[in-house]
Amino acid sequence: MMHDDDKFTDWLRDAAQTYHSPRPTPREEMWARIAAERQRRAARVIELRPWLRWTLAAAALVVLGIGIGRWTAHPETTDSAGGSDVVYQVAATQYLSRTEAFLTDFRADLRAGRTDARLAGQARDLLATTRLMLDSPAADDPHRRALLEDLELVLVQISQLESGRSARDADLITQGMDQRNVLPKLRSAIPSGPVPVRTEGVL
Amino acid sequence: MDERDLINRVRAGDGVAERALYDTHVDRVYRLAYRLAGDDGLAQEFTQETFIRAFERLDTFRGDSALSTWLHAITTSVVLNGLRKVKRFRQREADLDDAHGVGLARREAEPDLKIRLRRAIDALPEGYRTVFVMHDVEGYTHEEIGVALGVETGTSKAQLSRARAKLREALADFAGEWVS
Repeated sequence: MMHDDDKFTDWLRDAAQTYHSPRPTPREEMWARIAAERQRRAARVIELRPWLRWTLAAAALVVLGIGIGRWTAHPETTDSAGGSDVVYQVAATQYLSRTEAFLTDFRADLRAGRTDARLAGQARDLLATTRLMLDSPAADDPHRRALLEDLELVLVQISQLESGRSARDADLITQGMDQRNVLPKLRSAIPSGPVPVRTEGVL
Repeated sequence: MDERDLINRVRAGDGVAERALYDTHVDRVYRLAYRLAGDDGLAQEFTQETFIRAFERLDTFRGDSALSTWLHAITTSVVLNGLRKVKRFRQREADLDDAHGVGLARREAEPDLKIRLRRAIDALPEGYRTVFVMHDVEGYTHEEIGVALGVETGTSKAQLSRARAKLREALADFAGEWVS
């Protein structure tokens, strides 16, 4: 005779098949996005985007200048680790500025009743950079890491807007942003002043 | 083509082999992501990220376990981390809804088994829910779950047992269905 526990287990297994029952796997759609995303990430590694390339080049020059200055003034001290940190800080500042501008535009577009594929494309672009930032020393600071994680989630949601999502979904994204104070936190994470001054601020 | 050949070809940059690897495993990865996330958009996002990471890190796969086991370890890591972020983000919205008195009112008795079961599974602690979904819903073995979640097989068994006990308690109203 079957034990009561066994009966329950069989019944539960059967009933639980209805739990989050998946639809057929969208193989081709996902494969296309995987291929595009891998291509994008590979392109980033081989050839940095112009804005980041110029930022890093400028930062490297500044670091080199500082390094030479310090070396000539105090030959006994070196600070190479600090130099690479500065490069990441400058890149992070540039990235945060771009993201702030994008999210501000996004909110303005929503208010004006505009949601188009361009937004999703830009969000995907920034999402890839966000993930690079999360994997870099720029995310060592716990506050910045939390901010980057919030931004990652917002950008994931925006990047999915083009696939038939409703205006209600877009509203939920902005509500979520408001409730987590994403934009104020983002703005306070960016040193004040125009971009060249901002990059000086981290040096 | 056996698995080792397939892996070697992917490592060598063979695009056809990459697609073959994807085709072999994508159904189970997507199903698990969907079962855990309960949302198609998130499930697709998690599945894509799983394969992107797998292709990036295939050089680190030593072959100690089956490729599917390794892949499911990446899947659970991607999904659980992703869901934690989503939960943290949505919690604020739920708190605000509750504060405005528009939160979901809990009914004393929900006649629909499907809804009651979903709520009961959703309410399980993350570890219990993950093991329950992997074992009882998707048919993973405790050994596979142990490797995927980085826990001992015994831990997986214990968590499944506790998950079932909690579900039995939560679904006591339906006892007639399994006792008969």
